[in-house]
Amino acid sequence: MRYDVTIDDRHLRVELALDGRFLIDDRVAAADVRETVHGWQWSIRLDGESHEVTLVTHDPMRLDVDGRDVRATVVDERALRASRGSAATRVGRVEVRAPMPGLLKAIHVKEGDTVDRDAPILTLEAMKMENELLAPVRGRVAKLSHSAGTKVEGGAVLAVITQDEAR
Amino acid sequence: MVRACHDLGVRAVAVYSDVDRDALHVRAADAAFPIGRAAPHESYLNAARIIEVAKRAGCDAIHPGYGFLSENADFAQAVADAGLVFVGPPAAVQRALGEKTAARRLAREAKVPVAEGTEPLRDLSEARQAAKRIGYPVLLKPAGGGGGKGMRTVRREEDLDASWRGATGEATAAFGRPALYLERAVDRPRHVEMQILADGSGNVVWLGERDCSVQRRHQKLIEETPAPNVDDALRAKLGAAAVRIATAAGYRNAGTVEFLVDTQGAFYFLEVNTRLQVEHPVTEMVTGLDLVALQLRMAGGEPLPFAQADIERRGSAIECRITAEDPHAAFAPHSGVVSFVREPAGPGIRVDSALFAGLTIPSEYDSLLAKVIAFGRDRDEALARMRRALDEMRVAGVPTSLPFHRFALRQPAFTKGRYDTSFVGECWERREPLHLEAGALSAVALGAVLATRSRAERRPLPIADPPWARIGREDALR
Repeated sequence: MRYDVTIDDRHLRVELALDGRFLIDDRVAAADVRETVHGWQWSIRLDGESHEVTLVTHDPMRLDVDGRDVRATVVDERALRASRGSAATRVGRVEVRAPMPGLLKAIHVKEGDTVDRDAPILTLEAMKMENELLAPVRGRVAKLSHSAGTKVEGGAVLAVITQDEAR
Repeated sequence: MVRACHDLGVRAVAVYSDVDRDALHVRAADAAFPIGRAAPHESYLNAARIIEVAKRAGCDAIHPGYGFLSENADFAQAVADAGLVFVGPPAAVQRALGEKTAARRLAREAKVPVAEGTEPLRDLSEARQAAKRIGYPVLLKPAGGGGGKGMRTVRREEDLDASWRGATGEATAAFGRPALYLERAVDRPRHVEMQILADGSGNVVWLGERDCSVQRRHQKLIEETPAPNVDDALRAKLGAAAVRIATAAGYRNAGTVEFLVDTQGAFYFLEVNTRLQVEHPVTEMVTGLDLVALQLRMAGGEPLPFAQADIERRGSAIECRITAEDPHAAFAPHSGVVSFVREPAGPGIRVDSALFAGLTIPSEYDSLLAKVIAFGRDRDEALARMRRALDEMRVAGVPTSLPFHRFALRQPAFTKGRYDTSFVGECWERREPLHLEAGALSAVALGAVLATRSRAERRPLPIADPPWARIGREDALR
């Protein structure tokens, strides 16, 4: 597992390999780690130097190393991927979903059309009310999944818009 | 207090509020009794309840400590009326010195310099006239009590209105009296106080000064003795002035006379604290005296066992108040649970502490957690020991003032003894980030990852022989 770690204003990449080794900024660290207080303190020997790291507070994360106090943030690769993923969705492909089950009453655009943000693209009838579904971003209508007059489930993808410019 | 009692072979009885059942003072005492709920007015300020418990427990005397009722003349009177001994000055003395403008009058009559100021002010327009006469900046202070509570520095006439309203509210909340008075603000003052002892037989002695200039919100963070810029001549003058005030007031027991010293070495009477001070240990370290034990002896009617000429001061001592405050967030107080503590020890170090792993810091009381005191043959040795002690100390679970103290003890302004009450604002709030060398940086990055994993997984990391430990023991690494 890889982690992006920020200590005050310095950035480091820490990797915990499956075989138990540490890599710090891609260098194998000769680390001998003992957890001296469960969840709060570690004695860390690094290349013969003896360090003691204590978690002071979780949120915001503050640590003490050898009597010096630092602020830290840790982002693991899963979280990094997730944030990259959602960023990609936001920038690239945006789905328009049915907020509730209903009848797709009308479609106001065709595939390939360019729409402005907040332009009405679909009308969904649900609970005896007509709801206009608006384009969440400016872009091109890449796909329309259903035709008018179709019953759709809540959460169904009704349209896909590709964003043609960064917000 | 409990330690002094035990040193004298006296049994100690503690009182505690509901949230303090686990507190160390309860466990240290020979007996302990609950006195009510967490809110101070339901427990530690409940004079009747405390006196009732003392009588039921068979106490001879009540030591009021240094918070809550320690400067409350009505409490001192009620204790005496109940046939118990109050460890501190009698109610009449507390009343005379507790009203701050009366204390200033008393000091003037005792030929002690007092900063130009007023009697209690009737209203804002009187304040405006007085401020104009004295000249800005001025200090707006509660007449009903001291300790920096409700005090405002007013730099310009247009700020007086807002300060007047704020200080009136705070004075009412802190002392139950809205009365305010004005005093000329001393430029870049150092806060220097003199410890005195007075037995009932007319012996009044001074033990030495303490510099308490490192403050935030007018509350002290670091105290030391001797004060870096007080020479023997000034010390003798401050001591003599303090003794004159104490004698004029008919003072009894331990007390502290506070002064402001300006950049020219001129001094002005500030107020008398009619109780033991939080920072009394630094005086104990250099005099070798136990002030609480002496308080108990004097309260019991014993004369002081020494005269002024017998008092020797040796070396230098400094105290850091470790508080549950976040120095990275303007010293905002924090409640919470302490998960781990390691207190410093070793040559010249004393720790007076309420800390233990599992302590829930109540939100109802003062944020003071522990006092770390360092003694040395001279100031440099005391400071070196204090730096080492602060680096040794760990408190986990809640933010504390430790980072501030470690920083302060390394500032040239502090180590050279050239600091005043503006230190926190000028040095701490404009600090540079720490520089960590490569090894410590790697270690703390690794620690941050382990802390995150440990929290995320909520399961113990293998301690017995984790693979990384094995790998660390291998000598050859590619």
